[in-house]
Amino acid sequence: MYSIIVVPPPTAEDRTTPTQLRLAPGERLTFGRGAACAVRIPHEGVSRRAGEITAQGAFWTLSNLSGRQTYVVENPEGAGEHIKVGPGRLEAPVPFEFSRIVLPAAGDLIGIDVWAPRHDYLRADGDIEGTTTAPAFSVDRSKRYFAVLAALCEPRLRGAPHAPPPTVDQVVERLRPHWPAASRTSVQWNIDYLAVKLRLKPGPEEADPGPRLNGKKESLVSLALRFDLVREEDLVVLTGPGGPAR
Amino acid sequence: MTEPYAVPVPRGYRIGGWEVREPIATGAFGSVYEGRRRDGQPATAALKFLPTGTGTPRQLTHLRELVEREVELYRRLERPRLIRMYDTLVVDDPERPELDGATVLVLEQAQTSLSALLAARPRPPSGPVLLAQICEGLAQLHRAHWVHGDLKPANVLLMEDGSARLADFNMAAELEGTHAYTPAFSTPDYTPPELLWAEIGERGRRIRPSADVWAFGVLAHLVLTDTFPLPGGTPSARRDAAAAYARGTDDLRLSPELPDDWREIIRDCLTRTHAERVTVEPLLRRVETAAGTARSPRRVLARPLLAHRPRRRTLTAAVLAAAASAALGYGISTLSADDDTGDRGQGPSATATVSSATYGAAELRTGKGVPAAYRVLIVESAHDCAQQDVTPALIAAMLKAESDFDPDLSDPANDEYGIARWTPRVLRFWMNADGTPADTVPEPPFPPAESIPAMGRYLCWIAPRLDTGLPGDRRVLIAAAYRTSYSKVNDAGGVPEKYGAYAARVARYLKEYTPPGRT
Repeated sequence: MYSIIVVPPPTAEDRTTPTQLRLAPGERLTFGRGAACAVRIPHEGVSRRAGEITAQGAFWTLSNLSGRQTYVVENPEGAGEHIKVGPGRLEAPVPFEFSRIVLPAAGDLIGIDVWAPRHDYLRADGDIEGTTTAPAFSVDRSKRYFAVLAALCEPRLRGAPHAPPPTVDQVVERLRPHWPAASRTSVQWNIDYLAVKLRLKPGPEEADPGPRLNGKKESLVSLALRFDLVREEDLVVLTGPGGPAR
Repeated sequence: MTEPYAVPVPRGYRIGGWEVREPIATGAFGSVYEGRRRDGQPATAALKFLPTGTGTPRQLTHLRELVEREVELYRRLERPRLIRMYDTLVVDDPERPELDGATVLVLEQAQTSLSALLAARPRPPSGPVLLAQICEGLAQLHRAHWVHGDLKPANVLLMEDGSARLADFNMAAELEGTHAYTPAFSTPDYTPPELLWAEIGERGRRIRPSADVWAFGVLAHLVLTDTFPLPGGTPSARRDAAAAYARGTDDLRLSPELPDDWREIIRDCLTRTHAERVTVEPLLRRVETAAGTARSPRRVLARPLLAHRPRRRTLTAAVLAAAASAALGYGISTLSADDDTGDRGQGPSATATVSSATYGAAELRTGKGVPAAYRVLIVESAHDCAQQDVTPALIAAMLKAESDFDPDLSDPANDEYGIARWTPRVLRFWMNADGTPADTVPEPPFPPAESIPAMGRYLCWIAPRLDTGLPGDRRVLIAAAYRTSYSKVNDAGGVPEKYGAYAARVARYLKEYTPPGRT
């Protein structure tokens, strides 16, 4: 029942599979240099108790417990969109689905990623009263993950019902005209994020940290098409002006 | 009309023998109109238009599935407390592409809905009686092994005589074992906490009948007090409150307006976990007592559950409890079969008496060394799976080959434990009956009551993933895939060489445990 995922800065041991900490609404997590913190950041420039992240339903708040430093929470997909959380500010609400808390630490910048995959978005035919039967998924069609999902679904939506999903490299090629920074890593990251967001049931293969979940792209495509998350008219995100952001 | 109709149909439009009259209601998927006809009975009906046509602007693939569910339920189930379907029609009207191809369900017409009643008159005096009738409808569904999946006031219809019937079965699903698969749709205020943000598999979301019980608790609180049981001014605030309650950080604070008996009933519907929730039969008795209504007639039949699928039975809570005690060596003496045949039968009530030593003898031979204590678990774990190759004899043969039925097996060198030789990090994905992975990797010991059903679930998952063309006995292939993985078996085009000896042993025991005349 988690609603917030915190990805601490990678340490030497988990460079391949970064840790993800999941918070349910109401749960808190402290970060800092001190041993008592849930996320330890062993850097001299970081306060012993640097801050606290609290999951509030679908969004989260940041408390800045440091004495002097201002933290910046930026939206990595938001073209410079950011908020500042000054020292001593408690429970500042953060509105982004993806965020990076940037801690200034003696000349270095340390980033903690925080995802809020449960953000809700209005559906074309939805109401907000909560009395209507609603699909369990809510996607933001302006986000890059949606462009990635659209690219994965494209062959089938264009009339090849049994086409295998495109490879990661093909997706990169497809998206690059409007997302010049697209790379294997960023596309794979978005695929992994979609699996979290659409709550794909992990297969038993995932019990092993070794091989990646087989058929993750395949499962995403069949889920997205089954529930009409991507329709033919959505494919404009692949070609439309301004790229993925409509 | 405050909201646009999902499917606009002009007054006077003709379909089949029906003429469309006033609009009645619209939902997220379809719209309902009054229909009249000059000849034939009934003279009026509710026509539910669902935009399934290929040219409709909102052409939605998932709609077809939702419509099929609803039609399937109406075809299979006719119960006094469920709205009746008279007919289904398809619009053939190329002139109107927005309607062409739409499915029309011709349904028994109701007077109004519970949501309309509550809007006009909160806390209606007839509330308790209506709740008893709604609960009776749920019981009729659950006894027939269906889950409603979307119980809420808008889906409870009120007839001319003021009585309640359940409707809108787009999310309804037939139970397969302890679960059903429903599309990943729900109405937030009526969704139990375990389904909030639940994982979605290839077949949709797994739900249990207890999801309907939670929804009934919410609905009862709303009918009796005009408030939701969980605090908050918006659905998302109430959803967060439900999540906090389920995690144990918050208590349930029901309205002080509730009479004591109803408070207890609602509390037992709104438990933190599905396992603690009251099941529909005792719930119905308590609701009827609280409402002061007569007990609804109950028909108990002397025939196997799910007669249309003779081999498969449902692992009910009673059997599960019995299975657990059998595994502890207490044996089991009675299993009662309770089913509802609807409008036909009135058989005498029956209780089948089975002893654990011969349990499931038709599918698993006796006298061949399968310990009596595990027979119920083995047989019911196999029955819990709809794959025909996952049989009691297969599970028994594998347990013999894996551990020689040793519940205390401990093999740290290979990281395998218990009667089914589970590797902890793999068991994690199969230990929960609802198919969700456990939060953490479990630690041994793994008792048989946990190991065997988990084995059944894993085998059930493997079976459809093995390529169809593989040579050899599919059951043995499934066993080999359990040892290694289904993809290794597919890649090897059969039992991989390394597992040949294991497969041979499973094949030998399989033969030994399968009763003569069965394959």
